[in-house]
Amino acid sequence: MFQFKIKLFSSAKSLETKIDMFHDKIIDSAMTFKKSIGEFLDSGRSEEFKKANKQLRQIEHDADQLRRDIENRLYSQNLIPDLRANVLELVENQDRVINRFDEVSYQFYIERPEIPEIYHARIRNLVEQVTDCVENMSIASRSYFRDLSLVRDYSQKVYYLEHETDITSGHLKTAIFDSDIPLANKLQLTTIIDEIENIADLAEDSVDRLLIFAIKRDI
Amino acid sequence: MDEGLFFLFLSSGLFLGWSLGANDAANLFGTAVGSRMIRFRTAALIASIFVILGAVFAGSGASETLSALGRVNAIAGAFMVALAAALAIYWMSSSGLPVSTSQAIVGAIIGWNFYSGNPTDSNTLVEIVSSWILCPLLSAAVAVLVFWGIKLLMKHLKIHLFRMDSYVRIGLIIIGAFGAYALGANNIANVMGVFVDSSPLHALSIGDIAFSKTQILFFIGGISIAIGIFTYSHKTIRTIGNNLMHMTPIVALIVVFAQSLVLFLFASKSLKLFLDAHGLPSLPLVPVSSSHAVIGAILGIGVAKGGRNINWKIVVKIVFGWFLTPIISAAVCFVSLFFLENVFNLSVYEL
Repeated sequence: MFQFKIKLFSSAKSLETKIDMFHDKIIDSAMTFKKSIGEFLDSGRSEEFKKANKQLRQIEHDADQLRRDIENRLYSQNLIPDLRANVLELVENQDRVINRFDEVSYQFYIERPEIPEIYHARIRNLVEQVTDCVENMSIASRSYFRDLSLVRDYSQKVYYLEHETDITSGHLKTAIFDSDIPLANKLQLTTIIDEIENIADLAEDSVDRLLIFAIKRDI
Repeated sequence: MDEGLFFLFLSSGLFLGWSLGANDAANLFGTAVGSRMIRFRTAALIASIFVILGAVFAGSGASETLSALGRVNAIAGAFMVALAAALAIYWMSSSGLPVSTSQAIVGAIIGWNFYSGNPTDSNTLVEIVSSWILCPLLSAAVAVLVFWGIKLLMKHLKIHLFRMDSYVRIGLIIIGAFGAYALGANNIANVMGVFVDSSPLHALSIGDIAFSKTQILFFIGGISIAIGIFTYSHKTIRTIGNNLMHMTPIVALIVVFAQSLVLFLFASKSLKLFLDAHGLPSLPLVPVSSSHAVIGAILGIGVAKGGRNINWKIVVKIVFGWFLTPIISAAVCFVSLFFLENVFNLSVYEL
């Protein structure tokens, strides 16, 4: 019985750590994405940009490993049988957000879009809102595991920030199409803006599901 | 009396014990096993051990109350009382009506009283019937209090989901074991109570521990409950576990705790003596229905959550069962005793 208790608690503790590490990776990916786009806007495909891009790839890889490990432990150790499907979905939704950060940053690396300087501040602002949105998603998700009462507060912040990204990207795309740059550049830029903005949409979708999971978790 | 013949007559009680184990163990470990938090074998082993311990060491209280209702003093009569209760349970279950072993056995004893001309002690009867009403109400009250307490604790302690899962698992095992002990202590009277006065078994000593003849009888009854748990409860557990899946494991834990505590309060002689000695209100020692305690707890939590999702039809069915079960059981017992005495020429009561 004592051994059973120790094993049970050590499994729980180990998984707690993994979940915390996974949430750390979400914050890391958001911060690194912000750094990566900032470097690109400052100095194009520079060494610093490449470094940030590589760092982001590593974070994405680590997060994938953590996700697989969490999934594996949840099922092999038969933990939280009533809620594990929800936890898995939550982790997978958030892993998608980390993947998108990596993909969009890599898109900048491959396409090397020409962004006129007048749009830099607005793009930085959009990236700031998107990363804020994802950080709040991560805090809301962390709260799901420890303090349900905070889930709604942080989810509300995600909704607000996602709405702000819609407005910022809308204004930005309008300004781009009102400008004199070639149509090909306009299309390339709006595609990239959409890709950035979609990350906030993914965060919003994840929070939509999270709120339902939180209701199910409440006793 | 020949012991072989005694065991033949005891078979109806053993059958009741088997059906109790098959049905009521599901109330204790149903959700834990159904949601795969505990393996069936582990649950069955724990439940069996603690049911026997409860029956042997704490089963006398409720049994004395049944004896006060009617002292079934002939073994053939005891056989028929237990069989009538079993038949009433079978018929009512087949008709889809909720049925309690306690009510069936009380009805059968009253049937025996009528047939043998023994007076039914109205005070004991009132005590028993009021406990049937009190049992789900008390269980609901305990469940609501614990539910609010746990909600408050969870709000302040902020326990991680995975750690909470570990606590719930350990809680389900410990409280399930307590519940099995309380079930054995409270419900063994239903299974073996009517055989106490006609039992030819002798007291036994193992080392320094002495077992009375009633304890030996209750041990045999406890084994029949354990056989019911091992051989058939997995089917009931599967149904209960799946039916109650909408309950979170924490709510399931509260329900099992409320049920166990209520059964224990209605069974523990030492607790009653302690409360009486200190001038505190105590409960009568009466066999009550574990299923009714479970339903009471679930309804209590339902009310605490705002009264949604409560199936009031079940409440009406239970109240209907309170009246119908003892009446059917008493009627079956009365008619069967007549056949046993006049067709098989067996003495069903002693003057």
